[in-house]
Amino acid sequence: MASVSSAESVIEVDRLTKHYGAVVGAQDLLFTVQRGEVFGFLGPNGAGKTTTIRMLLDEIRPTAGRAAILGLDTHAKSVEIRRHLGYIPGDLALYPNLTGRDTLTYFANLRGGVDWSYVNELAERLDADLSRKVGNLSSGNRQKVGVIQAFMNRPDVLIMDEPSSGLDPLIQREFQNMVREVAADGRTVFLSSHTLSEVQRVAGRVGIIRQGRLVTVESVADLRSKAMRQVELELDSPAEAALFAAVPGAREVTVEHNHVRLSFDGDMGVLLQAATGLHTIVDITTNEADLEEIFLTYYHDEEVTD
Amino acid sequence: MLTNVFTKTLRDRWLGWTIAVVCLMLLILYGMAVYRQIDLSILTSMPEAYVALIGIREDVDAGGLAVQAIHGLYGAITLAAMALALGASSIAGEERDGTMGILLGNPKGRTYVLVSKAGAMVLLAALSVLILWGAVYGIAAMLGVEIGGLDVEALSLHMFVNVLFYGLLAMAVSAWTGNRGAAAGVTTAVLVLSFFAVGLLPLIEDLKELVKAFPWYYFDGSEPVYNGINWGHLGVLLAGAAIFGAIAVIGVNRRDLKGQSVGVTLIDRLRGNPLTRKVIGQLAGSARVSSIWLKAASEYQGLLLVTAAVMFLMMGVMMGPFYKAIPEETLTAFESLPEALIALAGGGDISTPEGWYQIETFGLMAPVSVMVVTIAIGAGALAGEESRRTIGLLLANPVRRSRIVLEKSWTMTLYAFAVGFATFAGVALGSLLADLGMDIGNIAATCLLQTLLGLAFGALALILSAGTGRTRIAVFVTIGAALVLHLVNGFAALNESMADMVQWLPFYYYLGNDPLNNGLDWSHAALLAGLAVVLIALSVLLFERRDLRQTG
Repeated sequence: MASVSSAESVIEVDRLTKHYGAVVGAQDLLFTVQRGEVFGFLGPNGAGKTTTIRMLLDEIRPTAGRAAILGLDTHAKSVEIRRHLGYIPGDLALYPNLTGRDTLTYFANLRGGVDWSYVNELAERLDADLSRKVGNLSSGNRQKVGVIQAFMNRPDVLIMDEPSSGLDPLIQREFQNMVREVAADGRTVFLSSHTLSEVQRVAGRVGIIRQGRLVTVESVADLRSKAMRQVELELDSPAEAALFAAVPGAREVTVEHNHVRLSFDGDMGVLLQAATGLHTIVDITTNEADLEEIFLTYYHDEEVTD
Repeated sequence: MLTNVFTKTLRDRWLGWTIAVVCLMLLILYGMAVYRQIDLSILTSMPEAYVALIGIREDVDAGGLAVQAIHGLYGAITLAAMALALGASSIAGEERDGTMGILLGNPKGRTYVLVSKAGAMVLLAALSVLILWGAVYGIAAMLGVEIGGLDVEALSLHMFVNVLFYGLLAMAVSAWTGNRGAAAGVTTAVLVLSFFAVGLLPLIEDLKELVKAFPWYYFDGSEPVYNGINWGHLGVLLAGAAIFGAIAVIGVNRRDLKGQSVGVTLIDRLRGNPLTRKVIGQLAGSARVSSIWLKAASEYQGLLLVTAAVMFLMMGVMMGPFYKAIPEETLTAFESLPEALIALAGGGDISTPEGWYQIETFGLMAPVSVMVVTIAIGAGALAGEESRRTIGLLLANPVRRSRIVLEKSWTMTLYAFAVGFATFAGVALGSLLADLGMDIGNIAATCLLQTLLGLAFGALALILSAGTGRTRIAVFVTIGAALVLHLVNGFAALNESMADMVQWLPFYYYLGNDPLNNGLDWSHAALLAGLAVVLIALSVLLFERRDLRQTG
């Protein structure tokens, strides 16, 4: 692949906005993705992930704002950008009459060739059958063809919209390895997903998008450090929810007879004191929250402040 | 009843049917307005053989001509084609789209799905026929055209049953095989073959009786617009429709439904065979994906082959010997016909082989054949990739949007010329075999104009496809435009006051200068080519600027 500009920011998104009539697809998105980074782009269905990615690919044009990849404007220099780009669209569709190998040949020809030994290596890692017609493949096996075509040119930037949908867990793990390798190689990955566990495994930073607006951009580590714990208490006698809800940092308290469950980011000592004042603790479990819960927390906050 | 399948089919289809019905209404209006101004008394004095040949009665009047020639011919064919399209994609279309599974995930049987779709077809056909029936009376009253002697009700009923016949035939093949292309192809072949058989076979005494083997005979063989309903003929069509319906029900219930899968073709088998793998792999595999235009070419090669074969064999080669077989006295009857009448019959004087080919081959089928291919490519080229959601991946590669438009236009152009060449080769060979002595250069000139005309309409489909991203709009608007322009052109030739207007119609630059007799008018060729080039250039601009659609 040709060498890319030496700028540290590989993807720069500057107040990117897309309106479909009165409907807001994306509003004032602002973030950058650094070289060698795996950036997770998280949001529920319809949040604006695909709209953002389609603007980056110049499939649709922003209503306002701009974006640049490798220092090149995504609209004006789209063709130049795409020389350095690998892409998996969300809801991947391929030509049903072509075999996997035909499909890859077609796209390779549009780029002026590909290293077939690398293609075969990728196919082997993903256990992909390239000899069958794409139309006769299951959606997971079709997705593998999509993944290979995105990786096969060793692109400087990989943009992937829900790339692992349909892949079975073993293949997903292999895919995550491939993503890590790309980043270790100094190349950049932009990965949209609603499968938070996946992003958590590979991404360094995540942007969370909701209703077309960026809620936050933080490193996975920071998000976790702020993270809530899930606390479950088994008591000797029926409990009152109000007792636990009054403890600073407690949220979403649910009580069923002797069983208390809550999200908690306060002082654990205070919580235990509150509990032991009236009850005896029979059992206690706490879990560090994963992104899933962080994610829900962010939404929860948004809804409260809305 | 599956109200949702029924109403969804209506929702998917109403636009196409509406465009078709509106076009036909405009044509009836236009036809009556024009025929009203023509002195049709010449018809009463002409030979009976001719009257029979062009299917116009000697006592015809403006109303009869409009109703029979437009409503009874174009209306019947158009509505049959609409039903054919609906029937062909009824079951096979759902299978291809991969929606059959989820549809049958609901607690309803396959028979109900089929019956719902057939019900939608019956309703659309009935409404269309009813609206056109009302339009005939309304327009006649508006223009003061006398149609009291005509049995429009009988024609409408015949037309309705005829439409169902072809729609259900397509549905039967679609349901039995799950192959949409086969359903559309078989039914179109039956329709076209029987339409031409009914037109041509009666010309030859020995073959006259054969016509009863072709279903179109049972639609208008009895001339219902003059003679009223022929219950016997209607019964034949109804029985056929009922049998097709039954076949469809049995067919869809007996077989394994296809997923969103792709059939195995002969080429696939050859690619799998170790002996032929290498050669076929080159031909069918790596070659067809080596560029955008070649890939587009491979997608439409089946359509091209069928169209070119029909034009070469049926419309080209066969017409020569057929002409020879027409009795001499039938032909001599035409020599003294007034020019207006010749224009009415499609601009060809049948007493010469050039006139014969003009009526049978070049008048309608030749431009239609090129348009079938160019409109399919033009409409599918860009909007097709969008509706199949493959445009995103294609444009992830470092190619300009303009290159996609231009490469696909190149495929369209090549294919237009291929159909034109097949027509040329067929007509030239037909003339040679039957020793008709037609000028080869003039045949080539006519086929060049045919090619360029078809290309211009393909470019119209392309610009609509580039501008809207919707295949259906591109297809229906282009076909509607072609149909209306063709007929307006035909009428305009009959009417002095419209002589100036004719120069604004693309069809004028096709046969306007009688290229079969006079050779090529380069300015006409240049004009048609220029039109195509301008439309393609505008397509590039439109496609460059637009947000791409994500779904169909």
